[in-house]
Amino acid sequence: MKKFLCILLAAMMVIGCASAMAEEKIKLQIYAQYADDDTKVPYDYAVEKLAEAYPNVELELIPQAQDDGATLLALATAGKLPDIYQTGSGIVTTLRNSKQMMVINDVAEKTGFLEKVYETEKQYMIADDGNMYAFPYAGQEYVLWFVNNALFEQYNVEIPTTYDELIAAAEVFNANGIVPMALFGQEGWISAAMYDAIATRYITAGIKGLDNGATSIEDEAYLKAAEDLVKLAKAGVFQAAVTTTNYDQASEMFLGGKAAMFLNGQWYIEDATKALGDDVTWIAYPSYDEASYEAGKHAFSGGGGSISGYAVNPDSPNAELAAEVAAFISEKYCEAKVTLRNNPLVAVNTGLTNDQLPKMMQDLVAEMPNMTSTTAFTWGLTNTTLANAIGVAGQSLLSGQYEAQEVIDQLTFELGW
Amino acid sequence: MKKYLSNRKAIIVFCLPAIILFCVFIFVPILQVFYYSFFDWDGVNQATFVGLANYKRLLLKDPVFKTANLNGFKFGVVITVYQLVLATIFAIAVSDKRIRFRKFFRTAYFIPVVLSVTVVCQLWGNVLNADNGLLNTLMSRLGINWSQNWLNDRNTAIYTVAFVNAWQWMGYQFALIVAGIKSIGEDFYEAAEIDGATSLKAHWYITLPLLKDTFNFCLLISVTGGIKAFSEIDIMTGGGPGNATYTLTYIMYNYAFGRQKFGYGLTSSAVLVIECLVIILALNWLFKDRENPLFSRRKGVEIV
Repeated sequence: MKKFLCILLAAMMVIGCASAMAEEKIKLQIYAQYADDDTKVPYDYAVEKLAEAYPNVELELIPQAQDDGATLLALATAGKLPDIYQTGSGIVTTLRNSKQMMVINDVAEKTGFLEKVYETEKQYMIADDGNMYAFPYAGQEYVLWFVNNALFEQYNVEIPTTYDELIAAAEVFNANGIVPMALFGQEGWISAAMYDAIATRYITAGIKGLDNGATSIEDEAYLKAAEDLVKLAKAGVFQAAVTTTNYDQASEMFLGGKAAMFLNGQWYIEDATKALGDDVTWIAYPSYDEASYEAGKHAFSGGGGSISGYAVNPDSPNAELAAEVAAFISEKYCEAKVTLRNNPLVAVNTGLTNDQLPKMMQDLVAEMPNMTSTTAFTWGLTNTTLANAIGVAGQSLLSGQYEAQEVIDQLTFELGW
Repeated sequence: MKKYLSNRKAIIVFCLPAIILFCVFIFVPILQVFYYSFFDWDGVNQATFVGLANYKRLLLKDPVFKTANLNGFKFGVVITVYQLVLATIFAIAVSDKRIRFRKFFRTAYFIPVVLSVTVVCQLWGNVLNADNGLLNTLMSRLGINWSQNWLNDRNTAIYTVAFVNAWQWMGYQFALIVAGIKSIGEDFYEAAEIDGATSLKAHWYITLPLLKDTFNFCLLISVTGGIKAFSEIDIMTGGGPGNATYTLTYIMYNYAFGRQKFGYGLTSSAVLVIECLVIILALNWLFKDRENPLFSRRKGVEIV
């Protein structure tokens, strides 16, 4: 009897171990944006598809902090990068020099990812050393100036084309308890984007010119743009708490009909359309006079492309698999963006089309061939000092409490490192 | 006991673990801060020695350095005054047996200390929001035309943030002072009562002088807490508007993690360490047990 029990127990242990091994999944940590519908929907879609294609892989999400890459750098410094992580231009050079970013050339080819990347995006995917470091999913993206037409009509205000008109509109809106323009100035990138949008009226290179050395912060255009932004802030174009307002608060103001205008990337089209329908549209950025408005109508802030997307930690115990998964996830992001977020501006040709694009997106797609210039988002800048300092400078100007010259002097000091 | 204290080996054995832990987690990192402050370093790759370049830039050229020091000073003054004064008054009050609900007040004053900094900052952020915050709305409803841009004014935002810090941590100093008061013997007060001293005079001539060491410690933590302030600033203003609420710690964070300039960030930290050390030495000198202007004047003074 004892022998029988021993054999039975041993057999059960063997079966138990075998089944546990069979069910054991490979866990991969992923540092990804997961904050709003535009980031949650593609991630959830990609995870769902991953479960079908890679049933043995489980993703452990570390939501990306909105801190302009500070957390990622801290993880890199501590040698604790996750298996897969979302990266921007600023940190690529640092991490590839420290060998904490895997060269993905082989995986990009083997998985067929490279073949599917649009030609216009390939130039950004390949770094200056000829290698690829991240699987991109976002295509050319743009900063759009959204307006709530219904509020403009309700208060009988013309859509502004010049700053004088914008200030006049702000007076009317403020008098009626409406925030003229809601901006989430707590975040550096949007503060920089606002400044960049104004700078492009004077110099089409905007902040990208400062990054690639084509322009200098001491060029008069940057001072004039700073003066314009201070003038707008002092005139009450932005909400009082602009520098401590976060995205959720600002977006709620706009989508809730409490703000007449809003600045964000084109990825916001879907949310804006869902909430405001045909009442919302995007306009060409106003300018300092009619002539410059007409001249700069097709000059956009943003775009420009960058080495960004999902990178892989080469020290991961499952680096090769992580790279394959990163490629897969990036491609699925593109699918989700096209089909679920009505955003065809993606890096990878998934073969999927969407003929139900919102009006604003249709307008943007139609505008793209006419675009005369684009600049860059802060995450597309390679100079990390510029990317950070321009956000701080933008916030200073948005507050309306700094003199334009003071801000430019500070920027000159910081960029003269 | 004497036998143990004269046994050097025993002393070494008992002290060594603490000394090792202190060295590994405090002393060595501080040395590293100073070491890397002489380098241009992105935090990840090989550092390049730049000598005193970081110090020259920070101390002599960077305009934000002055702002950061001023902010540290303002922050320190606000929290020291608020916390020490209120904590002392409250501690004396709840130590008085005639006060009712003393236990309730003791707990109530300490509650903010156990809350998370993030929760406290979010709470006060909503109260102080310039557009739709509770405070401005309340004033507006009451017909008081004094709405303020509490967190977005470059000249006053630092005071607002300092107030939030002072509000949260006052309870900690309160607890220290209550403990200090409890350690004062009842016989002092009985003697004072026999001499006809009022309650106020008894506290002035007995409680306050005998709390000297407690005050020294409270001052240390509030003054150094002021110059190295970070969490509340990061959560409530992000150093803004612009760089109006930067402190030395915020410079360190911004340069190290925002710009990949760890060498420069650590230079700021090194200066901060030196400032803290100077303050500690100054306060210890001020509170030294000797004839000094702060506490000696009451010695031998007749109470009545």
